[in-house]
Amino acid sequence: MSHQEVFDLVVKHTREVVPELDGHTFEATDSLRELGANSMDRADIIMMTLEALSVSTPLAELAGANNIGELAKLIHDKSTA
Amino acid sequence: MTSRLPDRHDAVITGLGVTAAVGQGKKEFASALFEGRHAFAPLRRPGRSAPTADPEAPFLGAELSELPVPEGVRARTLRTASLSAHAAVLTLDEAWREAGLDDADPARIGLVVGGSNVQQRELTRLHARHADQPAYLRPTYGLTFMDTDLCGICTERFPIRGFAHTLGGASASGLLAVLQAVWAVRSGQVDVCVALGALMDLSYWECQAFSAMGAMGSHRFADDPGAACRPFDRQRDGFLFGEACGAVVVEREGARRHPEPYARVLGLATAVDGNRDPDPSLAGEISVIEGALAEAGLPAGDVEYVNPHGTGSLIGDETELRALRESGLGDARINATKSITGHGLSAAGAVEVVATLLQMRERRLHPTRNLVDPVDPSFRWVRQAALPFPFETALSLSMGFGGLSSAICLGKWR
Repeated sequence: MSHQEVFDLVVKHTREVVPELDGHTFEATDSLRELGANSMDRADIIMMTLEALSVSTPLAELAGANNIGELAKLIHDKSTA
Repeated sequence: MTSRLPDRHDAVITGLGVTAAVGQGKKEFASALFEGRHAFAPLRRPGRSAPTADPEAPFLGAELSELPVPEGVRARTLRTASLSAHAAVLTLDEAWREAGLDDADPARIGLVVGGSNVQQRELTRLHARHADQPAYLRPTYGLTFMDTDLCGICTERFPIRGFAHTLGGASASGLLAVLQAVWAVRSGQVDVCVALGALMDLSYWECQAFSAMGAMGSHRFADDPGAACRPFDRQRDGFLFGEACGAVVVEREGARRHPEPYARVLGLATAVDGNRDPDPSLAGEISVIEGALAEAGLPAGDVEYVNPHGTGSLIGDETELRALRESGLGDARINATKSITGHGLSAAGAVEVVATLLQMRERRLHPTRNLVDPVDPSFRWVRQAALPFPFETALSLSMGFGGLSSAICLGKWR
């Protein structure tokens, strides 16, 4: 799974959790928080992405991501660890 | 003519909402009641039949058709909202609009959601989905598994800022929520309080247990769902489940400019029998009937209409009729709303207050389905067809497992 594919999964699940973003063009620099995803929304988005990748990791280890690109990189790193 | 209604009570009911399998919204619901329509069929909602269940022997009951999205409720909210929560916000929406609560002070509005453990089917499905992979359980489960999520969703959508909580009382939950709302208004805690009877979303586990304990029918009428739900009939063999939700807006008369009320709340009573079992208690039922009438200041003979608990339970129906007879209510008109709606469990008491008040305003009583051979034919039953019947006083009863009895006495507003 490439970094881009992980990014696409995060975007897919963000659209599912926050349907209002359906028409939004996602960039790596987008912040989930600034896009309107609250803390519970963000936790669900991450968990759905981890499940899709069969990656198991404490959510706290992904808390440092400042935007979707960084989040996708952290998850990608976990998936290849 | 002098009024039979005491005037010292100032809690009035100004808005109603209802969502039931026979009809969503008061208009559709009332027409189903008066026509005696039903929606009983094998239960098909996912999670309501065991994976190993015999497809030839499904549980019977009544399920809602697809619910619309109420105005102002976001799709992202509904993604994680249970069926019970969706029905709650939809039903509240109807009652809120009718009572014109956008004009009320949010800090003076409360919400009591009647019911506990109401989201069982959704939880069962989630547990099954994650049984082999609990690590991927959605974090939102930590919010949504609690019934109080219904309070959260309703108060996020509607400006209710006085208080909001749930109140569990088994099958009396819906009426107990109405009672609590009245007390909150009478005490001055708030000016307006919405009581909601939450949709009890049974999973196959609860259906199985209710069936095994002999509470839920119908084995006798498995091939004829329309004939299966028959409160007070000698052929009854238990209650049939019916998905439902009811909302009742209670407020202190004159605390704000409100629409013309349906009714005044004349009297209330609740009792516990010291009985953990499902058995009904004649003494408990008589005590709440007498308590509600005493508070209302009404002699039993002045109650014109009784909306009974009447589930189709073998012993429960007989006990309730004895309680009504011994309390002097044997001459009131009576029907059975659950013969049409099924038993909404936590929702029932609120839905039946709605049914009582719709009948009061329409000046007629709905028929009782399948009442072919009444347990006690001497009561003044409304049987095959709706009956024109202008009335001003009514009593509604709700009972629950664990020795709970409750009653409310209502008087037409004028």
